[in-house]
Amino acid sequence: MLILSFLFLTSFSNEVDKTLLIPQDTVELKLVEVYSAPLEKYSYGQTLQKVDARNLNDFHGQSLAELLQQRSGLFLRQYGPGMLASLTMRGTSAGHNAVFWNGIPINSPSLGQADFSILPVGGFDEATIHYGSSGALYGSDAIGGAIHLNNKNTFNKGHQTKILSTFGSFGRWNQQVEYGYSNQNFSSRSRVYRNFSKNNFKFNNLASAGSPEERQRNAEVEQFGTMQDLAWNLGSNQQFSTSIWWNQTDRQIQPVMGSNDSDVQKDYNFRAVVDYNKFTAAAIWNIKAGIVLDELNFNQSVNKTSQFLLSSDIDWTISEKLKSKTGARFNHVIGNLSSYEATEDRIELYQSINYLPVSNLAFSVNLRQMIFNGDFAPFTPSIGSEWTFFTNDKNKFSTHTSISKSFKIPTLNDRFWVPGGNPDLESEKSISAEIGLIHVFESNDFMISNQFNLYSMWVDNWIIWLPRGSFWSPENIREVRNQGLEYFVTIKKSLNQTQLEFNGSYNYTLATILNNLSENDRSQGNQLPYTPKHKAQGNLRFTYKSNSAFVNGHWIGERYINTDNISSVAPYGLLDLGFSKRLEFIPKIKASIGFQVNNITNNDYQVLRLRAMPGRNYLININLTL
Amino acid sequence: MKNLRLLGYLLALSLFIYSCDSNSNEAPLGEYEKGLLIINEGNFSSRDGDISHYNFNTGDVQQNIFEKVNNRPFAGLVQSLIENEDKFYIVSNTGKVEIVNKNTFQSLGSVEGDELNIPRSATIANSKIYISDWGPYDANFASPNSFIAIVNNTLGGEIAKKAKTSSRPESFHQINNDLLIACSAARTIDVMRIGVDTVGRSIEVTGTPVRFLENGGKLFLFARNSSAVFFHEINKTDYSITNTTEINIPNPTSKLTLGENGEAYVITSTGWPDYNDAVAKISITSGQVLNASLYEGNGFYGIGFDDFDKNIYVSENNGFQGSGTAIVINQSGTEVKTIATGVGPSGFLFKR
Repeated sequence: MLILSFLFLTSFSNEVDKTLLIPQDTVELKLVEVYSAPLEKYSYGQTLQKVDARNLNDFHGQSLAELLQQRSGLFLRQYGPGMLASLTMRGTSAGHNAVFWNGIPINSPSLGQADFSILPVGGFDEATIHYGSSGALYGSDAIGGAIHLNNKNTFNKGHQTKILSTFGSFGRWNQQVEYGYSNQNFSSRSRVYRNFSKNNFKFNNLASAGSPEERQRNAEVEQFGTMQDLAWNLGSNQQFSTSIWWNQTDRQIQPVMGSNDSDVQKDYNFRAVVDYNKFTAAAIWNIKAGIVLDELNFNQSVNKTSQFLLSSDIDWTISEKLKSKTGARFNHVIGNLSSYEATEDRIELYQSINYLPVSNLAFSVNLRQMIFNGDFAPFTPSIGSEWTFFTNDKNKFSTHTSISKSFKIPTLNDRFWVPGGNPDLESEKSISAEIGLIHVFESNDFMISNQFNLYSMWVDNWIIWLPRGSFWSPENIREVRNQGLEYFVTIKKSLNQTQLEFNGSYNYTLATILNNLSENDRSQGNQLPYTPKHKAQGNLRFTYKSNSAFVNGHWIGERYINTDNISSVAPYGLLDLGFSKRLEFIPKIKASIGFQVNNITNNDYQVLRLRAMPGRNYLININLTL
Repeated sequence: MKNLRLLGYLLALSLFIYSCDSNSNEAPLGEYEKGLLIINEGNFSSRDGDISHYNFNTGDVQQNIFEKVNNRPFAGLVQSLIENEDKFYIVSNTGKVEIVNKNTFQSLGSVEGDELNIPRSATIANSKIYISDWGPYDANFASPNSFIAIVNNTLGGEIAKKAKTSSRPESFHQINNDLLIACSAARTIDVMRIGVDTVGRSIEVTGTPVRFLENGGKLFLFARNSSAVFFHEINKTDYSITNTTEINIPNPTSKLTLGENGEAYVITSTGWPDYNDAVAKISITSGQVLNASLYEGNGFYGIGFDDFDKNIYVSENNGFQGSGTAIVINQSGTEVKTIATGVGPSGFLFKR
């Protein structure tokens, strides 16, 4: 039997709600659902985690930031509920992870990062987390890892209408209406949504004498969006598909405690992708074209960027043991920022190989070279392998390892911002190595899987903006070593109509500064700011017939404010509780209703210093499927 | 040295005993009554400004003393530390003034709320607090609506009145029942009669005004431009500029401290692209540059002069990546020692 990686499992077997994606023996391929090979196919040796569909359901209309913070081992730097949220993976900075939507990179080319607070859950069908350095596979930014958001076209489903509503504390009202139609050869789905929160929660104002309880002001968030997916099967061996997403977020920017600022920000994000796939017996040929238009208006300052992408690759199945992907990606970037204008062409060539010499051993090799505006980015190779070294009827042990180089080209702001932009910046670069061990025990109605990853990474040329006279300017100045442990556990137990499931993770992250910026700097050997050493998260779910309940907890260790590691933001833990019930009124109408209490112990906490967060709050979800 | 320290302990002990005398009206010796107070402006994004305390006898440094004493963060950017009677007024340019006991740093009150925008300095007159505030920025980051906020209680509370001033009022000087206000963007000295509490007139000056100085019985306004510093001598009756000492020195900053004998030390910074900072020694009396680079470095952010041992304290901001450093140099520009500070150290107050 052919051992396929968990990657295959992710992409080909739908309806698998596993948090951990574990190698399995066989995979059923449903012909009508064959897609182009996903970006992450050639990643033996590293860990992918698909976000549980039930979590996507629980968080409908909220931001991806909230979901990842509460339901994963990743840490997001949140400037308040619904406010800017940036992701740090494996102790790297906000821009050190790549974010893809249907295979196109959507990190802002000017800021070099994504704001996870304006990626609403509901704006994509699947989310996958790739842990670890993966620049050879994905290109720039993927130093700490990558996030993939994908839409899924389905065929042969007829008409389907969904109405999803969420009501909650602080004026929350999220509403989404979705209509889809598909037959054997054509699939269409349209979505419209509006997510709103007044965000006038109570908090203790630490900046005020006596720390009185106050209501948060100037933090209202309103989001609109619409999305259209279309796909055609052209005969038996060709597919044409497109996804278009418009998302608009109007926000009052929650001021830091003690500030009277009344800033407003509007984000407009338009993303469109067109895919053409041709399938032959041994190969899939893909042509992908994409447009990403971002506009960020902060008060009166207007910042626009456009990206036009074209890529093509051929994914060959040379033999059962050998697979290869060869491709090129072209990205034309235009920046019209408040202080400068810039354009850039990025060309990337890449080659990926999967080699499976024997049934329980697999290798991935990736090579990538990017050229931006005529400059060569660091050449990035990676190699990884996965070995299942023990199997019996109940147990399976496998181990994986990888070594990879990654890079991040300086952002447009880093190079061209007026004043201070530094055109001489070099790309940030990293070398990373990791090993992992997975054990799965399965017996009738009980399953437990444990996974450990250990990694060590070295990042150099880290770009820091420093005050230089009357303005700030970026330099390739910092050197950091990131080391850590990732642990994932899944336990499932079923008894008749009762199911119990636990998913948990723990991340230990050491992000150590290796150099001092100047003679009197005392940061060497210290932990990077706002990078918790510990994060633990667990979700226990109980299902009986059509009823389901969950308890979710996450705990985040102290975060230092500065590189001196003197002041820190206190550790905190939050506990959430939820209950849901599926109902069927008449055969054609399905419904589910859910109730959640978040931060049930009403903890007073901050993720970042002096950024207020809400206490106990409530949500009601009502979903209808016609 | 050891003996000195022992003597210090004995002295402290005797004072302790003395202060514990139940029949005495003497207040206990405050922990921060003596020593060096370092103003740490803080980082804009984390608002972690606070005050550090350095003990000259033991060499111990305490960071974040406001937070330590009051069990809450200062939560602002410290612009200035104003001493009046038994109180300090800690002015935050992010919109508040915290009032603390000068010796213990115990919070006594505050001025806060939507009425303050960008406070810069404060002064106490006629049992009122006068707070200079740039007012809100307009679309071009100019400050056309600057004001003085007046609070009728020296322990803070509501703002009773806002009086319009010229653009960007900085520091005050009290004289003849008047407040002189240095306005940096308007390049004026605004005159406000205490009690009337409106700006009566504005006197235009050369250069960007920074603050008032008293030297040798004379009152000066320190101002600067990109190639010179100016000491405008102010007539103490009609406030006219009677004389201006212009000292040509490239790239002076607003960071200046008075030394002895009419001398002063000013930080210069070359800016883009070299970013070399230096301490220059000048003479206000003779109008001469005595030493253009007494001490050189990077990231200089504040300066102070210790009358006791004549050392110069230069603070370095460490690129705002973490806490900064106070570098102590002697009269010949040699480094004597360094003291760890908080984030963005911008000034010193010597309590010998």
